[in-house]
Amino acid sequence: MNLICWLAVGAVLLDVAGPPSLGAQRPLTVTGARDLTFGTVLPGVPRVIARTDPAYSGQFDLKGPKDNQVLLAFTLPLVMTGPAGAQMPLVFGASDAGYSQSEAIGSQIGFDPKQPFTATLSKNGKGSVFIGATANPATNQRAGAYTATLTLTVTLLP
Amino acid sequence: MRNSKLSLALLALVAVSAGAAQAQSNNASITATATVQTPINVLGAQQLSFGNVFPGINKTVGPNDLTNAGRFDVIGQAGSAVTLQFTLPATLSSAGNTMPIDTYNAIRAEDLGQTVGAVMFSPGPSNAATLSGTGGLFVWVGARVVPATNQAAGVYTGSVTLTVVY
Repeated sequence: MNLICWLAVGAVLLDVAGPPSLGAQRPLTVTGARDLTFGTVLPGVPRVIARTDPAYSGQFDLKGPKDNQVLLAFTLPLVMTGPAGAQMPLVFGASDAGYSQSEAIGSQIGFDPKQPFTATLSKNGKGSVFIGATANPATNQRAGAYTATLTLTVTLLP
Repeated sequence: MRNSKLSLALLALVAVSAGAAQAQSNNASITATATVQTPINVLGAQQLSFGNVFPGINKTVGPNDLTNAGRFDVIGQAGSAVTLQFTLPATLSSAGNTMPIDTYNAIRAEDLGQTVGAVMFSPGPSNAATLSGTGGLFVWVGARVVPATNQAAGVYTGSVTLTVVY
């Protein structure tokens, strides 16, 4: 058997073992659609943003193969950083994230953003992930603007 | 030679598989933002002082009396809307005796001379105001005491409390 034949065998084996019709599927994309916004916060007064808050919750939009399962995994900050390096604690509760196959904020399935979560893309290959959190400013929290970065990694499951 | 071809095929398989695995994952980031406001501090800077009062003769201290009117100094987030909440005593007390207060008036301004943004108002449980561009606000409180004709002599006191909230 010559080299070309062996490569052909390898390609066939890959096609059998790999995801079905991977080459023809829509590529997986993740988009940060809306920032998580706490707005004005007063020292010593916790500020809670629900994942169902249409204006202030964070949102990611997903696109990929139709009906495909995906694994959602967040990288979450413990604090927001402000003026002169001041920090403000950020807490994510066990149901502070939600997944919606229909991309509607009103029809979410809640999950713990600190744990990987398996979701299924819609028949159109779409879905949205929403996230809320609690900011806990100290009573002597320094005034100013605070920010942090939340990252969502999405992995296609076979 | 046969083994070499097998190795090449497997190498191709592994290389293509690695490429496929990388394409199965993606990520994106959003930002969490918050703006912490400056806490409000309220200082009782000057007592409301009626001085000597005579039985049967009412005495008024106007809020524009910079020497005798009570004064609160407020500092907070520049330009913020706030609510002034007064708790005002109806009487002054002295060893079991009381002396009524029947009227209160107030002025708020952005400077100690009452020349910038001065507004007279009737103090109560909820008065709207706005902190200045530097976050300051000064509030003066005046009142009228109504001593009875047989008012017992003594030193009479009462507490005026101002709470300021965003």
